[in-house]
Order: sequence, then C-alpha cells, then structure tokens
Amino acid sequence: MLSDYLPIVLLAGVVAVFAVASLAVSSMLRPSRPTPAKLMPYECGIVPERDPRGERFPVKFYVVAMLFIVFDIETIFLFPWALTFRELGLFGLIEMAVFIGLVFVAYAYVRMKGGLDWNVRGLREGPSPVAEPPPVDRRREVAGAR
Amino acid sequence: MIAQISPPELDFLPVAPELVLAGGGMAIMLAEAALPRVTSRVLLIASLLIVAGAAGITVALWGWDGEPTVLAGMVATDRFAVLIRGVLLAVAAIGAVYGHHQFDRAGERRPEFFPLLLFATTGMTLIAAASDLILTFLALEILSLSLYVLAGFSRRVTASEASMKYFLLGAFSSAFFLYGVALAYGATGTTSIGGIARALSGPSEGLPLAMVAAALLAVGFSFKVAAVPFHMWTPDVYQGAPTAVVGFMSAATKVAAFAALIRVFNVAFLPLSWDWTPIVGVLAAVTMVVGSLLAIAQTDVKRMLAYSSIAHAGFILTGVMAANQEGIASATFYLVAYALMIVGAFGVVLLVSGDERTSLSSYAGLAVRSPLLAALLSLFLLSLAGIPPTAGFMAKVSVFRAAVDAGHTWVVIVAVLASVVAAFFYLRVIVLVYMKEPEEELQPDRSPLPALTVAVPAVATLVLGVFPGLVFGLLETASIFRW
Amino acid sequence: MSSQEIVFVVLGIVGLGAAVRLVTARNVVHAALYLVVSLAMVGGTYLVLAAEFVAFVQVLIYVGAIVVLLLFSLMLTRAPIGREALDNQQRGISALVALGILAGLAFLIQDAFRDARIEPDATPTGAVGVSIFQNFVLPFELVSVLLLAALIGAVVLARKDLP
Repeated sequence: MLSDYLPIVLLAGVVAVFAVASLAVSSMLRPSRPTPAKLMPYECGIVPERDPRGERFPVKFYVVAMLFIVFDIETIFLFPWALTFRELGLFGLIEMAVFIGLVFVAYAYVRMKGGLDWNVRGLREGPSPVAEPPPVDRRREVAGAR
Repeated sequence: MIAQISPPELDFLPVAPELVLAGGGMAIMLAEAALPRVTSRVLLIASLLIVAGAAGITVALWGWDGEPTVLAGMVATDRFAVLIRGVLLAVAAIGAVYGHHQFDRAGERRPEFFPLLLFATTGMTLIAAASDLILTFLALEILSLSLYVLAGFSRRVTASEASMKYFLLGAFSSAFFLYGVALAYGATGTTSIGGIARALSGPSEGLPLAMVAAALLAVGFSFKVAAVPFHMWTPDVYQGAPTAVVGFMSAATKVAAFAALIRVFNVAFLPLSWDWTPIVGVLAAVTMVVGSLLAIAQTDVKRMLAYSSIAHAGFILTGVMAANQEGIASATFYLVAYALMIVGAFGVVLLVSGDERTSLSSYAGLAVRSPLLAALLSLFLLSLAGIPPTAGFMAKVSVFRAAVDAGHTWVVIVAVLASVVAAFFYLRVIVLVYMKEPEEELQPDRSPLPALTVAVPAVATLVLGVFPGLVFGLLETASIFRW
Repeated sequence: MSSQEIVFVVLGIVGLGAAVRLVTARNVVHAALYLVVSLAMVGGTYLVLAAEFVAFVQVLIYVGAIVVLLLFSLMLTRAPIGREALDNQQRGISALVALGILAGLAFLIQDAFRDARIEPDATPTGAVGVSIFQNFVLPFELVSVLLLAALIGAVVLARKDLP
C-alpha cells in the first residue's frame, strides 16, 4: 500500500537534494562582490520607486481566491464520483449535475455582480461608492484590461 | 460489466421546506444580480412568498406518517422538527420585513440581505430536523456563515467589528463541535443521532470518549445559544450588528441551536443523562445569574437585551436538564415564547432607534412621543421578565415545573432568584419610558409596515400568556422524538 | 518497528517541528510556509493510515487552497510582512493551555482504545464515493449551498463600501 508511494517519495527526495545542492554548489563556486545596485530589487533595470511591502493588493483578488476555493472543493468531489461513475449510474450523474449546477450558480452570480470585471468600477452597486480614482489612472487601467 | 448499485430510496418531501428556501434564495440571488434595478420591496415580497411556501409545506408535514427518518437516516420527520420549523419561518418573515425597513430607511442598497436571510433560515430549519451529526454540522455552518456576513451589514465600523468577532469565535466553536462529532464517531462508530443512542445504551467500551464528545458538542452549542462562559461575543455582536439582523438572529439562532441541542442530548446522549444533567444544571445556573447580573449594569438597550438573551439561554437549559418529555415540552414552549418576545423587542428598538443610537437614556419619555411603541416595548419587557399574563410567565412556570419534577430543585431556586434580579432591569426601562420627560432627539419611526409586523409577536405573546394550551396541545406530540 | 511506524515517526517529527516554527516565526509569510509543511505532513499521516482520499483532500484543499487564500489575505490587508512582533504577550498561558489539551486528549484516547490494534486496510476512493453518493446525498448537495453563502459573503465584503 505505502510502497505505491515510493516513487513520489523518491522524486521528492531527488528534488530536495537537487535544490539544496545547486544552491550550495553555486554559493561555493561564485565570487561574492555585493554592490548597492546588485542588492536592489530588480524592476527591469529601473530604480524602484516604492517599497512593495507596504502595498495593498486590490480586494478583487479576494473574490477570485474565493472562487478558486469553491471550484477546488467541487473538484475534490469529482474524484470519488469519477471512480464510481459506472456503478452509480444515472442517479449519480443527476446528483453531480445538480451539485455542479449549484456551484455554477455561484460563478454566474459573481460574474453578474461584476466581481470579475477588471475595470475600475469593479463590483457595482456598492451602497456608497468611495471617491473614484483620478481619471488618468482610470484610463490606464481600463486600457490594460481590455 | 460492472454491477450497478440501485439508487437509494430517497424521499425528499420532508426536506421540501429547505429545498424551497434554498432554491428561492438562489433565485433571488440571481435575479438581484441580473436585474440591478429591482427594488428592495420586490425582493421582500418574493422572500415572503418563499417563506410562506416553505411554511405551507411545513404545516402539511405535521401529518407525516411515513418513516421516522428519511434520506438514509439524515432527516427526522417528527413533529418537533415541524414545530420548530414553523417558529423559525415566522421569525424569518418578520426579520425580512425588519431588514427591508432598516436598509430602505437608511437609503442603503443591500439586496444580498434577502438571499443570505433565506440561506440562514435554510440552515436553521435543517438543523432542527437533522438526525445525523454530519448534517447538523453542515446546517450549523450554513446558518453561521450567513449570519457572520449579515452581522456586518452596515457602514459603521462597529458592525464590521461585530462581524469579525462573531466569525472568529464562531469558527472556534465550530472546531469544538467538529471535534465532538469526531469523538462521538470514535466512541460509537456512527454519526447518526439514533445510532449513537443505540450504541450507548448497550454495554460500551468508549464511555469516557462519549462523555468528552458530549462535552465538546455542548461547548459548540453553548457558543451558538450564548450560554455562560461562552457568551462573550453576544453583547458586542448584538450592539454592533444592524438591529434588523439582531432581531432575526437573536430569536432564530437560539431556537435553531437549542432545537439541535435538545435533539442531540435527549436522543443521542440520553443513555448518559445521569452524567450530563449536573453539568447542564451548573451551566444553566451560571448563565442565568451572570446574564441577569450583567444586564443591570448596561446603559445601551441592545447590550441589555443581549445579556437578557444570555439569561434566557439559562432558563431554557433548566428545561433541557430535566431530560424527559416534560422537559423537552417546556423548553420548546420557552423557545416559542422567547422567539416571539425577543424579535418583538428588537422590532421596537428598530423603530425607536432607527439610526442605531441605542443608549438607554434615549428611551426616556417614549410614552409621550409614541404611546403605542411604549406599550409594545413594555409588553415585551414584561414578558421577558416573566410577569403574567404574558407568554414569558407561562414559559418560566413550565420549565421550573419540569425541573422540579425531575428533582433539580436547586437550579429552580437559582432561577427564581435570577428572575427577580432580571425583573429589576426590565422594570427600570419601563419606568424610564413612562415616568421621564422625553429628550428632543427622540423621534420614533412611524412607518406602518414594521409597526404592524411588531404587533404580530405582541399579540402572540399575550395570547400564549392567556391561552398557553394552544401550544401545549401541539407539544404533546411535538416533544416525542422519533428515530 | 514496521515500515509504517517509521514513516509515521518521520512525518510526525517534521510536522511537529514545522508547527512549532509556525507559531514562533517572526515573519508572517514564513509562518504561512511552515503551515504548508505542517499540513502536508498531516496529509502524509493520512496516507500511512491508508486513507488515500482524505490525504488528497488534505493536500488539494488545505495545502493547495487554504494556504493560498491565507497568503492572498496577507497581501490584501496591510499586514506587516517582515520581521515584526506577532506576539500578544500570552505565550506562556497559551503554551500551558495547549499542553493541557494535548495531555487530556492523549490520556483520553489512550484510555478509550488501550492496546486495541487496528490494521489500516486501504479504503479505496471508490468506496468513499459510493458512501457519499448513496448515503450522504443531502449533505453533499448542501455543501454547494454552503459554498454559495460563502461566495455571497465574499462579494459583499469585497464591495467598496468602507472608506
């Protein structure tokens, strides 16, 4: 039983050894001459303007992450269903169709609510939309999205 | 060729109310997303129709004479489940009107209120009928998740704080509950409530394990019903969340969680009742005393009602600890009465302090500004205090009698003392309302719809206080669990 | 010691070490990464117990999705990512409570099962499927209602209505 997983364990071991070894070997072989320019975060050669650690991601990513979880959980149920698909027959098919249908309702809802619209307005119908971002910003973001 | 497994016998009729609620919730959710122009009034009417449909099926289920459990032993079809469902659906209808009124008046567009309310109600009605701990847990999560979001339905920061606190402590309590389910499975090899009872009534090995499972499940339920020492979240959430939501959840969550608690402890763990009744008794006594004492010190009406709701959890537990049919009947009657009076009391709060300024001093002289609201508030407070001829009085008498008959006199003595203390702070508010001069800012809301809605529990409180036989008649068959 | 026991001990030590580092790490992102290790080791333990499906769920949902959501929320909030004090001065008490719970549960489970030996015989994922789709029809469909409620919650929370 457990021996079925031996190849996976071996692979994981090989990966770990390779990662550690290549880092170790390169740190032993390479010359180490740090300069301030080398230690800066790499942003395509431009001098970084802001400290990225204080930045906040747009909250839209949260809806995407939630959708991801929802579909992840749906996928989990597909595994045992797929294995017993033939035994369960039509009944199992209907069951799974209902389940997937309901999860699809979730997707349709988010879609209609504008949760996946990547423009500035985002989720519409907020009770009190906060001040709109400056117009220059908006044009750039919309152009990026479309 | 693989042998096909024949599909299980599935009878969905006993869960038809939940199917209607969940399906209706989804329909409203999609309609509201697809038609951004749809008004809150339309959504309210749709929600009320869905709740009415579910209530119609529920009434029809009263006469169910099929199997005691359906859907592979998941759902109980007994009349206890039917009665509790009826109460929950009534509270949900009242809560929908409250929510519509509060958000409409504040000029906030909150169309998600209705689907979330319907989903929460689905979870609540289902938990009352669940006869398998897996289903109990799922229903508990559905209702909790919906309520976490509903509690934050306001622009005020305190609402977000309430939502956050409720979520963190609620998630914590769910973990306790789940661990209890796991240990119950470890002790008995089943999660079915009837199956656990069967396993525990025989000679069994895992008795300490089952006891700890019962304790962990009790902790999970105690969080939901706000019993001391698991009540910490209640005052903050009740104060911070929108009054309409609090009105719904204070009544419905307690009814639903207590229904599940009564079923789990009076069916699954009934063989262990000698072990758990003293613990529940201590829990009840501490809850009544702490809830009543802390309520005296409150200067905010929502916080005061929160502590009052904590104290009432103790009184209901007094009925539960009798662990017999009389105890179940009295606790169920108490749940009905409590749901009516607390949903009514918060309805008055909604009308008097629509802007969420809920300090007790702002209620001074309410009788001058609005005699009707003052009378309604006094009625609900008298009922909460347990003064005849209200439902609260009959409820208290019946749980006390059940506990004395079962031989737990000491808890009843504590309960009577706690009632006396509690009467003090209810009467103080009534004095404030009738004997003081009104302040300038006191401008009660005179909208007819919510006032009519508040009148429904008011009439029911009086009717049940005068003719308690109306419900006691139903309880004769509704307090028998079939499994 | 059988090979299973050896694997279990290794998984346990690694998982426990990661869990200790998880609560003592000063960088919240590092803590999240230690959580990955800890959860993956728990998944490995499920494999040792021959519960393949549960192990997959553990890896896919917890390691895959929950930790990702956790990292997302670190980036969404302005949580201090870096060497910050994450303590609330209650290390001692919480360690005491944790050890107390551990001792209580260990005693309880030892007492309940004593020296009963359960040979883990593999539960094929298909059997889990038959059980879910035959006996747990209603709970299974209800999971989707739960997910729906959660998603409405996410949409409501993500709306721009707080300053």
